[in-house]
Amino acid sequence: MELLLQILWSSIGVLIAVAYGLLTGGIVRKLFARIQGRVGPPVYQGFIDLGKNFFVRDNISHGPMFYFGPALRTAGGVGIFLFIPAIVGWAPGENFSFAGDLLLVMYFMFFGSLGMALGGSAGGHPHTPIGAGRGLSQMTAFEVPFILAVIALVADTGSFSVHDLTLAQAGGFLEWNLLTHPFAAAAAFIAMLGMNGYAPFNVVGAPNEIPVGPMTEYQGGFIATLGTGRAIFAIAKMILFMDLFLGGATSILEAFIKVFVIYMWSVAVAAVFPRYRVDQSMRFFLGWPALIGVVAVLLALF
Amino acid sequence: MGVEEKGKVPLLPSGVPVGSKPHATDSTLFAQGRPKPLSLDESVAFIKNWFRAQSLNVMAYGTGCGSIELGPLGTSRFDMERFGITGGPTPRQSSVLIISGYLSVKTLKRVIRSYEQMPNPRWVVALGSCTINGGMYWDSYSTIKILDQYLPVDVYVNGCMPRPEALIAGFKDLMDMIKRGEANGYIEYQNNLDWYRANQRKVIKDWNLPEYSW
Amino acid sequence: MNEFVQEIQARFEVLWSNPQRPDLMQIGVRQVNALPLLTWLKSNTGYFILNHFSAVDWIEDGEFQLTYLLTDYAARRSLMVCVRIDRAAPTAESVHHLWPEAVTYEQEMFEMFGISFPGSPRQGVDLLLEGWEDIPPMRRDFDTAAFAEEAFGFRPGRTHTNPRDRVAIAFGQKGFLHDH
Ligand code: SF4
Repeated sequence: MELLLQILWSSIGVLIAVAYGLLTGGIVRKLFARIQGRVGPPVYQGFIDLGKNFFVRDNISHGPMFYFGPALRTAGGVGIFLFIPAIVGWAPGENFSFAGDLLLVMYFMFFGSLGMALGGSAGGHPHTPIGAGRGLSQMTAFEVPFILAVIALVADTGSFSVHDLTLAQAGGFLEWNLLTHPFAAAAAFIAMLGMNGYAPFNVVGAPNEIPVGPMTEYQGGFIATLGTGRAIFAIAKMILFMDLFLGGATSILEAFIKVFVIYMWSVAVAAVFPRYRVDQSMRFFLGWPALIGVVAVLLALF
Repeated sequence: MGVEEKGKVPLLPSGVPVGSKPHATDSTLFAQGRPKPLSLDESVAFIKNWFRAQSLNVMAYGTGCGSIELGPLGTSRFDMERFGITGGPTPRQSSVLIISGYLSVKTLKRVIRSYEQMPNPRWVVALGSCTINGGMYWDSYSTIKILDQYLPVDVYVNGCMPRPEALIAGFKDLMDMIKRGEANGYIEYQNNLDWYRANQRKVIKDWNLPEYSW
Repeated sequence: MNEFVQEIQARFEVLWSNPQRPDLMQIGVRQVNALPLLTWLKSNTGYFILNHFSAVDWIEDGEFQLTYLLTDYAARRSLMVCVRIDRAAPTAESVHHLWPEAVTYEQEMFEMFGISFPGSPRQGVDLLLEGWEDIPPMRRDFDTAAFAEEAFGFRPGRTHTNPRDRVAIAFGQKGFLHDH
C-alpha cells in the first residue's frame, strides 16, 4: 500500500517536473530573447510546441532501435528524478531514494545520450553519427570533473546516498556543501555547463551545421517525447545539484526556487559565450575543472 | 487543364481554378438553419489547429533572392519568434516551406523532395512575384513561373522582394487560415497527386525521384 | 600595354588589338595560337591568373568567340584574349591543365553553348540544366521567351508597361499596353 502511494506521489512529481521544465525552458527562451533585444516567445511556448508536435503525423520509422532513442532519453530523465529525493523529509517528495542511489544516478546521466546515439544512428542519416560522436566525447570530458566532485563529497560524508548527503548539510546555509566544499562545488558547477548543453557547449546539436545532430531524422511525436525527456532531465539534474550542494529542499516552493536559481547559472553563462568546438570543450573540461576536482578530492581525503 | 492553354486559368481535376481559395459567397454569408454546437470532431480539430498555428517551424531553405529577407526575420528588429515561429532545421521537423523567390527546375526537384519529406500537416508560403507569374524571370529558360501547378501554395506574399513585414503579415494570414481550417494545401496535394506529378514530370525531364519521398 | 602587345606579336600572330582602358587590353589570336599563347602568358609573364573564361555567340559570322580574361595583379592590368572558333563544330582545347578552375567554366560552356573541350574533366556532366533536351540555351538561335512560354505556361492577368508606352500615353497617343 505504501509502495502504491509512493508510486502515485512520484508520478505526480514527474508530471510537475515536466511542467516546470517546460516552463523554465520558456522562461529561458524569453530571457535569451530579451538579452538579444527581442520580444521573444510567450513563456508557455514550450507547451504549445509539445502539443503541436503531438498533433503532427509521424510518417517514418527506421526500425525498433529508432523508437528506443527518445524512450531511453526520457527514461534517463525520469530515472534520475525517481531515485533522488526532491524534497527531503517529506514522504511524498522523497521518491525512491535508497542507499546507493548516487551511483545509479551517475549511470542515468549517460543513459540519455547513449540512447540518442543508438536511436539516432538507426535513422541512418550521416549527420547523426557526427552529432552523437560529439555528444559522447563531450560527455566523457565533463563527467571527469563532476565525478571528482562527487567523490570528494562521498569521501567526506561516507555515504553513497543522496539522502544522507543532503541531511549532512542540514542546519542553515553555512553547512551547504557549496560553502564547505568550495572546490568540489566549483568543479561540479562547471561540469554542469556541459551537462545542460547550452552555449558554449552546445555543439552537439549545432542547428546550423549538422542540422540537429542526433535528432536529424526524428519528427512529430518523437520530438515531443524528446522535449518531454529534456524538460524532466533538466529539472532532475538541477534537483541533484540542489541536493548535493545547496542543502536540498524542505518544501515545494523552496525546491522550485533553488532549481530555478541553479538553472539560471548555466543560462547566464550561455547568454554571453559563443560556442566551443568539441576538441576545445574537451580540453577545457580536462584542464582546470578536472584539476579543481582533484584538489577537492585531496582536501576531502586529508 | 494544364500549362499549354494560354490565357486560361489552369484547373484542378475537381474543376476549381488552381490557387483559388474558398471565398464568401451568398451561401456562406447567410445562416443556413439554426446554429449548431461544435461536434467533438470539430472541437478536437479546432484545438489541434490552434496548437499547429501557434507553433510554426519554417524550414531553413532558401531558393531565390527572397531568402535574403528570411534572415532579418529572426533578428531583434522583426523577431518572428514572438509569434511562435521558429526555424526547422530539417524537413522532418518543419511545417512551413517557404519558396523564397524564383525556382529553377533543378531546385524544384529538391524542393519537391523536401516537401514530401515533411510530415503532415505542412504548408507552403510563396514569396515574390517570381513564384506568382514569373516576375522578372518571366522569359527564363530554367525557372518555373506558376508555382501552384507543382506544389500546393497556401499563402502568396507578393512584391519583388517582399519586405520582412510583408512576410510576417503572410505568416499571420497563414496562422488565421490554419485556425479556421482552411490551409489545406497538403490535402489537395495528396488528393491530386497524379495531376501534380504530371506537371512536375513535364518540366523535370530527368525524373529520378522516388514515387513518393517519404 | 602596347609594348606588351608588341612583345606578344614577336612570338605569336596577333590579329587585332584593342586597348579598352589603360589597364585593359583586348587582343584577338588564331585558334592554333591560343594554347601556346596562354601557356606562354601563364609561365613567363605576370598574367597567370584566369579571372574569367566565357563565350560569345557571333551567329552572323558563324563563329563562337572564347574570351580568356587574364589578370596581372602585381601590375594591376588585365589582358583579354579572344579566340574565334567555328560555330558549326565548336571544339576548343581545354586549359584545365593550366588553371584547374577552368573546369567549371568549360563544363558550363558545354552546357550553355554546346562548345566541347575534349579532355576536360566533367565534360557533359550536368551543372545547372538537368535533363536538358533542347539546343543549348545560350545560343542566340534559341528562343528563350517562346521556350519559357511553352514549358512553364503563363498566368493570365500579367501586363507589362515599358517606358516607351508610358511616353505614348503621356502624349495622348494610342498606347501599346500589352495584355499578353
Ligand atoms: S520576386 Fe524579385 S526578389 Fe523575389 S526572387 Fe523574383 S526577382 Fe528575386
